[in-house]
Amino acid sequence: MKRYYWMLLVLLGVWVLAQDSSLPGVKEAGSYTQGSLGQVLQPLPVTNAQPDGVYGVGAWPLYTPELADGPGKELVMGYCQVCHSATYITMQPPLPAATWEAEVQKMIKTFGAQIPDEAAKQITAYLQAHYTPETRKP
Amino acid sequence: MDNPMQRRTFLSRAIGVLAAAGALPLVKAQTSSQASEALPSFTGPQANPYWNGVNPFVVYPQKLPLLRLTDRGIQLETPRQYFRTAFTPNEAFFVRYHLDLIPNSIDLSSWRLHIEGNVEKPLTLSMQDLLTRFKPVSVAAVNQCSGNSRSRFQPRVAGGQWGNGAMGNALWTGVRLMDLLQEAGVKPGTVQLQFQGLERGPGPEGKGSNAFMKSLDWNDPVLQECVIAYQMNGEPLPMLNGFPVRLVVPGKFSTYWMKHLTWIRALTQPDDNFWMAIAYRIPDTPRGNTTPADVAAGKVKTVPIGNVNMPVRSFIVDPDGSSKLVVGLPVEIRGVAFSGYGRVTRVEVSLDGGKTWRVAQLGEYYGPYSFRTWSFQWKPTQPGRYTLAVRATDEKGNVQPDEPVWNPGGYLWNRIERQDVVVGTAS
Repeated sequence: MKRYYWMLLVLLGVWVLAQDSSLPGVKEAGSYTQGSLGQVLQPLPVTNAQPDGVYGVGAWPLYTPELADGPGKELVMGYCQVCHSATYITMQPPLPAATWEAEVQKMIKTFGAQIPDEAAKQITAYLQAHYTPETRKP
Repeated sequence: MDNPMQRRTFLSRAIGVLAAAGALPLVKAQTSSQASEALPSFTGPQANPYWNGVNPFVVYPQKLPLLRLTDRGIQLETPRQYFRTAFTPNEAFFVRYHLDLIPNSIDLSSWRLHIEGNVEKPLTLSMQDLLTRFKPVSVAAVNQCSGNSRSRFQPRVAGGQWGNGAMGNALWTGVRLMDLLQEAGVKPGTVQLQFQGLERGPGPEGKGSNAFMKSLDWNDPVLQECVIAYQMNGEPLPMLNGFPVRLVVPGKFSTYWMKHLTWIRALTQPDDNFWMAIAYRIPDTPRGNTTPADVAAGKVKTVPIGNVNMPVRSFIVDPDGSSKLVVGLPVEIRGVAFSGYGRVTRVEVSLDGGKTWRVAQLGEYYGPYSFRTWSFQWKPTQPGRYTLAVRATDEKGNVQPDEPVWNPGGYLWNRIERQDVVVGTAS
């Protein structure tokens, strides 16, 4: 029985030592937490390529973040994403309402986006409701 | 997520009990260091204060994790740490497309480079032709996006929100543009050369959303230095950097460095396509500087960004502020510098935010258009907070200014760069 007390004391000692802030200069040690910075997988090498004239890399991966929820979101996802991913919206800094209006008009007039007037209005209103200095949320 | 906290609470209680018994000193509560926390998902309406943009790391074919601005079209920024060397690794080299229909796979048995338009003899050249019929040449040159550092602008402007990583330096090997044009015989009456690659979009024909094309003036002396590169740092070009060949235009912004170059056209009329007439234009003012008020008033006359070369710039790569420095321990302040106007002749470092300057040591010279590394040995003698700064001078006498620039496109940023550091005590 005495032997077990002794072992328990050693275990407690090891455990205390592992957390011991009295180690010279150690202000903190043995602290872990769930990583918030994420992980990414390594790509596989090209293992089965033929020695011919074709040089391919497969499909380009998409990394499109979710847009803010609200009226007009589906229109944005439908019309805007004909030509580009919605990441073009989330990447921007908060832009003034007038800038978003101009961006939508630029897509229609300069780039030839086929967006009916009513949809364009709702798309502009959506962008202004979520992506201006006053409205943008992290 | 709660587990470690519970464990910590339990531990402090346990240790507290022991401490109360006089066995152990008290433990202070944990404080997180900033380096373990994620940056915000966006910056603004103020300027982005970080070296890179705040975007997440992502992996693409033939690339190490880069910072994703957009995923269709693809825009990826090079992280700061890859600028420690004069040559930027291909797998870390930034990516900037405008449109989304870009090649995933190219068959060199059917791919050809076409030289057409106002020429005596139109040419159709295979990769084999380029590799065997023309003399290879190499040039070290910085490829920098026109909008590099756009996220520094105040007020912020729409567009790719790059930090400083929309640039890279490589040794480009290929054939001289002029060698090909000589064989084709450019006819009198040619005013511009138009370059088109395999970057297309779903937009209507004739719109900028359909095809990406750029043109250089036929009398621009840069044409003599242009290379059609099939190698980048001694390797085939990554697909995302323009495989099989791209145009290299030393000293000019990357918008002219056409990726997947497939057509070269001698034009008898100036190119009025969207990417020349409307996009990539700068105010015809010193530094391309203007104000939102002048733009709104319609006062600003613009010219293509190809009318200027890249202004002189320099960057602090280390120390990067991710950790504290130790007083009395030497630190190498280092980075890269370049100018589109030629050789960097001087780099100066400031330890007091730009009040006083000291000359840094320059690294090896790889040619007038290459990055030039620089370094400065610093042994901080007092703990505290310091603002480091760097400025470069080129052979034409251009010195980096400390005034910001503003234009609606977010182009030509070259203000002096700064880095805040914290020096701790050693005892």
